[in-house]
Amino acid sequence: MTQLMVGAFYNPHLGPELARAEGIDHLAMADPPAATDPWWPAIRERYTLLLHDYLGQLSEPLDERSIRRARSLAELYHSPWVAEHFQCLHTQDGTFNLNYVFPPLYTEEFLERFVRHARALQARLDQPLVMENIPGFFDVRASQMPEPVWLRRFFEATGVGFLLDLPHVWLEAHYHGVPPERWLAEFPLEHVVELHVAGVEHDDDLQGPWIAPAEPSDEMLAFAAHAASRCPKAKAVTFDAFSPSLTAEVLFRSVKRIRAAL
Amino acid sequence: MKDRALQDDVIRALADAPYRASADWQRRELADPDRVERYARFLARHFYYERIVHFFKYSRALARITGRRPEAVLKQPGFDALLPTVVLGDRETARAVARLVIEYVGESGGPIPYLADLLRYEEAMMVVEAGRRVWRDADGAGGAGSGERYRPETVEGTVLLELAYDLPAVLPSLLQPWTEVPEAPRRPTTLLVARSPHGRVAVARSDAAVAAVVQLADGKRTLEELATGAGLEVGRLEETLQGLVDLGAVRFSTGS
Repeated sequence: MTQLMVGAFYNPHLGPELARAEGIDHLAMADPPAATDPWWPAIRERYTLLLHDYLGQLSEPLDERSIRRARSLAELYHSPWVAEHFQCLHTQDGTFNLNYVFPPLYTEEFLERFVRHARALQARLDQPLVMENIPGFFDVRASQMPEPVWLRRFFEATGVGFLLDLPHVWLEAHYHGVPPERWLAEFPLEHVVELHVAGVEHDDDLQGPWIAPAEPSDEMLAFAAHAASRCPKAKAVTFDAFSPSLTAEVLFRSVKRIRAAL
Repeated sequence: MKDRALQDDVIRALADAPYRASADWQRRELADPDRVERYARFLARHFYYERIVHFFKYSRALARITGRRPEAVLKQPGFDALLPTVVLGDRETARAVARLVIEYVGESGGPIPYLADLLRYEEAMMVVEAGRRVWRDADGAGGAGSGERYRPETVEGTVLLELAYDLPAVLPSLLQPWTEVPEAPRRPTTLLVARSPHGRVAVARSDAAVAAVVQLADGKRTLEELATGAGLEVGRLEETLQGLVDLGAVRFSTGS
């Protein structure tokens, strides 16, 4: 395995701290820089930047405007790869929108859709495409295969890279009552290019843990080390927290602890 | 039902609380109803957290004076009471959530003369943003700029806001570091708030002519009728209309 880069997300409210930080190899960009962001020039100059914006949901083909936007952002960031999610979060007619990542049904029809549209997007990008797994809080009875099987078939059919979000795997294991390491072993880890690590916190609505802009626990860090050792092509590990409530202390301490754990 | 339509049904159930409670949804037994309800409530709080933080960012910046952060309403009983009627992205729900913020922050009694205007402005932004949107250009057949130009029509949801204070003069400084609360000039100001089909909300200063065009453009009046009603020459009207189309406030119906 090559030396892993360890980084975080660019949180614009932490621009002053990030512009002079040490020990962070890269920043993932969830939003384009604001025209008024005074720290952006220094951030762009200093860091390897990873495009991790919302480009579109690949249950449908991306339109020309979205593809142009993706190309433009990838060029702006000099991003080594371009990330999207296995998500289907708005209805086809645009009436309903969850505004939050939500996985597709794991069916043959959706597999064919995602393979076709990911290939089309990849053909228009100058950088490799990577796709991130999304957690389900509940199973939909119409799914036809387990998520890891669906993902493996997707990656084998497209050659696209895998952005493995570890808290997502951990949460699914938690809500299915299986050990996370056993659930992780089902995933196609040989395709992993980047890993996400983050904390989870109790959510009152869900009555259980969920993704939060929090420090990863020791258990999550041990899980990250376990996962990284099984991803031979991984190049980067990113502290996955992007929120106005995130503090500089949590971000820097998390990156440091992730680096130490790997 | 095809899988994509089935996915739409699940998305709707998560977004639309009345549908989630309906026999139509429940008889399908697609997922554990308790898990779906818990996740839907989580999504609702997340959905409106994002919008409140974004659209009420100026009153959020004033929280050290008012002592009230707008997003706090999401943890209060008023929001819980709304949950059985929430439809994510719906204009009525946006209005109801914005009203909770206005009541909560507005009751602070902070010494900010333009606070009521500011909250109305932020409410307008949040409400205008709501509604069905075009996610892919292929979905947007029709609309501004396509098809035969015919009769201008104000886009549903576009708002004209009459304010007692010139808010645009103070808004940028609210987001900068300050020690004394920035002051807003007291002068009547009209703002136009509109949304593009893709969901981008824009605000522009408005004058009497622009306001008249927005109020009169009903998709039935011709350009000449509109020019007469707004007291504009046709050439000036066309310029005004182009600006309104760019904002998303007006589109051209194709006469069907």
